[in-house]
Amino acid sequence: MATTNLPLIETITPADAAAVAAAVAEAARTDAAVYPIGGGTALDYGARPTRTGVGVSLAKLNRVVDHPARDLTITVEAGLTIAALRKKLAAERQRLPVDIPQADRATVGGAVAASPSGPRRYRWSTMRDYVIGIHAVDGAGTEFSGGGRVVKNAAGYDLCRLLTGSLGTLAVITQVTLMVKPMADTAAVMACDLGDFDTAERLLAVMVRTDTLPVAIELLAGPAWRDDPALGPMTDGAVGRLVVGFEGSAPEVDWMLESLAGEWHQCGVANPITVPSAQVEPLYRRLTEFPVGTPEPDGSAPLVVQISVLPSATVAAVRRLREMMPECSLEVHAGNGVIRGRFAVAPDAAAAMLRERLRPLVTQAGGAMVVLAHPPDADLDVRSVWGPPGDGATVMRAIKERFDPKNLLNPGRFVY
Amino acid sequence: MTRASVSPLIRELRAALGAAQVLSAPADLVAYECDGFTIEKHPPDAVVFPRSTDEVARIVKICNRLGVPVVPRGAGTSLAGGCLPIGGGVVVMLTRMKQVIEVNLRDRLAVVEAGATNVALGRALSGTGYHFAPDPSSQKASTIGGNVATNAGGPHTLKYGVTVNHVLGIEAVLGDGSVLRVGPIDNPAGLDLIGVLVGNEGTLAVVTKVWVRLTPNPADYRTMQVIFETVDDATNAISDIIAQGIVPAAMELMDRGIVAAVEEAFAMGFPLDAGATVVIEIDGPSAGLDEQQQRIVKLCEKWNAREVLYAADAKEREKLWQCRKMAVGAVGRLSPSYIIQDGVVPRTQLPRVLRRIGEIAVKYGLRIVNVAHAGDGNVHPILLFDERDPEQVERTLAASGELLQECINCGGSVTAEHGVGVEKIRFMDKLFAPADLEAMRRVRQSFDPSGCLNPGKLIPSAS
Repeated sequence: MATTNLPLIETITPADAAAVAAAVAEAARTDAAVYPIGGGTALDYGARPTRTGVGVSLAKLNRVVDHPARDLTITVEAGLTIAALRKKLAAERQRLPVDIPQADRATVGGAVAASPSGPRRYRWSTMRDYVIGIHAVDGAGTEFSGGGRVVKNAAGYDLCRLLTGSLGTLAVITQVTLMVKPMADTAAVMACDLGDFDTAERLLAVMVRTDTLPVAIELLAGPAWRDDPALGPMTDGAVGRLVVGFEGSAPEVDWMLESLAGEWHQCGVANPITVPSAQVEPLYRRLTEFPVGTPEPDGSAPLVVQISVLPSATVAAVRRLREMMPECSLEVHAGNGVIRGRFAVAPDAAAAMLRERLRPLVTQAGGAMVVLAHPPDADLDVRSVWGPPGDGATVMRAIKERFDPKNLLNPGRFVY
Repeated sequence: MTRASVSPLIRELRAALGAAQVLSAPADLVAYECDGFTIEKHPPDAVVFPRSTDEVARIVKICNRLGVPVVPRGAGTSLAGGCLPIGGGVVVMLTRMKQVIEVNLRDRLAVVEAGATNVALGRALSGTGYHFAPDPSSQKASTIGGNVATNAGGPHTLKYGVTVNHVLGIEAVLGDGSVLRVGPIDNPAGLDLIGVLVGNEGTLAVVTKVWVRLTPNPADYRTMQVIFETVDDATNAISDIIAQGIVPAAMELMDRGIVAAVEEAFAMGFPLDAGATVVIEIDGPSAGLDEQQQRIVKLCEKWNAREVLYAADAKEREKLWQCRKMAVGAVGRLSPSYIIQDGVVPRTQLPRVLRRIGEIAVKYGLRIVNVAHAGDGNVHPILLFDERDPEQVERTLAASGELLQECINCGGSVTAEHGVGVEKIRFMDKLFAPADLEAMRRVRQSFDPSGCLNPGKLIPSAS
């Protein structure tokens, strides 16, 4: 079990959904908070919990319930690890094409609840577009389901999307049905170093008009990316590198690599780096693990944020961040306008850095920012982590009150 | 609602919008007493034509105060009675809010008012190299707001997904008349309200503006018609193609009955004696398409495909798709009335469910013809009848019910893309447990505490 700041009195490990329901009902009776626990990879994601309570581990709910491979769907219990899911799917040459960090520990339920972002979301989106059925236990201990086992379904409200990304605050997810995809025959990555930020924007604008179909468009900047096993060392004086991923049949991928090289050539990129198939997956893994990744050089845990802006505002925001804080490292889903930044900061200075430096920049860029990870002792409140409440705050609170009237599920951690 | 409240209602609506924006004479209301689902009819108390989100908000506030239902309506192409003013109320026509406000290629999005038609957005994007992926057969008439309300699909959803996969932001008026705006920037700080609003059928909010994702046009296509002796062969081939990990852009099945109607209408040269015709399209960069096509043809041949006809050029492709999309309309030549159903099953259950539909047709002495977005397991059986004959109507509804039940028995659902509306509401408790429906009611109450938005649709009220 991971170390965590969660204020747990005890952690229980129910054997099935009914036992989860009983545990939540018991917590409701005694007014104890409930902290659902999957692989324990995102327990410190979110703001500081406000009440002591019971950890409900889903570790025993780890079965594959049904894998009708020819339907390209799979139904699994929430506690199954992403690695185990991948293994099961790989046997049928299938995959869940969402990048999820710490896959050996992370669970399917946790990935649905926390909905991480990864490089291949440019083509493959995030968990919201794969959950077609869900079973969960609400804050009163009542089990309910949404969706079904078909890939297209308009019957009733989309409870799958309601729970995806809700950080376990509306219900404890116990089972999900996923739509899965065939594995790609082959994959490749092409990259180039960026001499300046104007070039970066020009090349990203090219990616809008490209004849190719990238699965990932990543912009990497900062010390963390000075050298990379797949990409090699960054050119001296470069402000960053652009990394573009492709997948498909071998002739398709070859054609796309050649086409993009031609498009880049016209923009003055002479010698792009091509990453061969075998090194593509490890590179994506490094990109996926970036927010959790290794500690800072001095051993301390960094502040990691995710900033969302319109794609066209990305380069300007990256430039300002790099100018303002030259030591920060950024991994940017540039095609989506999602910037993930790591900042070395003393725990007691994290809140001020967010408030005084990062938040104003984000506001000016018309964007939004959330904290993905922070030094263990940084004392961050809800607004520091999630930002100001948006237009939907009233509706979100109304939904929260109806699914979890006693505010037992992950109290304090999410936006409410 | 009581009749007594109608008059102040009209007065207030006229004051808020101007008299020209409000219809209330009984003769003017007739056109709004049903939509594409014609079995049930009920006139509204008024029909209003707002020109802005602000006007929609004013309308909802008035209705809310007077306890009058609000029924949002786009083109009225709902096949499930989504726009039926079931207990009267005010039909809010979004059709005057039809601007394509912005096309922003750098950010790959377009901003569209809810009343713009799907095809008008397509026209606005023409020449940009981009399109809006959802392509329901109704796209010439149906609006973006309506597409959002029903989470519309279409033939190409097999590869490109349904409406919810292409909506980045929504502006909408909630049940209390307040305006909600979410997106277009993806913000993980909060619940996925866009995900919930898409497919809400006008019961959670009146969607007034949408930020849609733009999809690059495919560089190239291979489009073919594969003729099979039997429906079973066709569905087995389709199932094999999916199982092999090939994801065509579309796989559309038409059985013998619908082919006959299409032939009569368009004289495409489809064989009338074949069990099924499947239109298969693959798209993407030219490199690799031929190889993929060969794999598909091989699988079709394994299942005794009689003939494979290839669209030679863009014009032939266009004609083929037009004919597929007009197929349902062509049924009008065969029968005075018809119901088009919208069942969905796990893809491997397609052979079973189509066999059962054949048996149900025999059992009820009805003619049922089928089109299907087969790659998704989404079947559209079309039941032919004469609505002037009450006995036929009854038989048709019974057969309709039985085939939807069969979809449920196969592990499927009673609607994939048309929505629940009033038509499917009686199936919701067959598909979902009481606790599931209760969870949905909570969502509804959260958006619309007074319950004035499109009442009587989507979920049965608690008993």
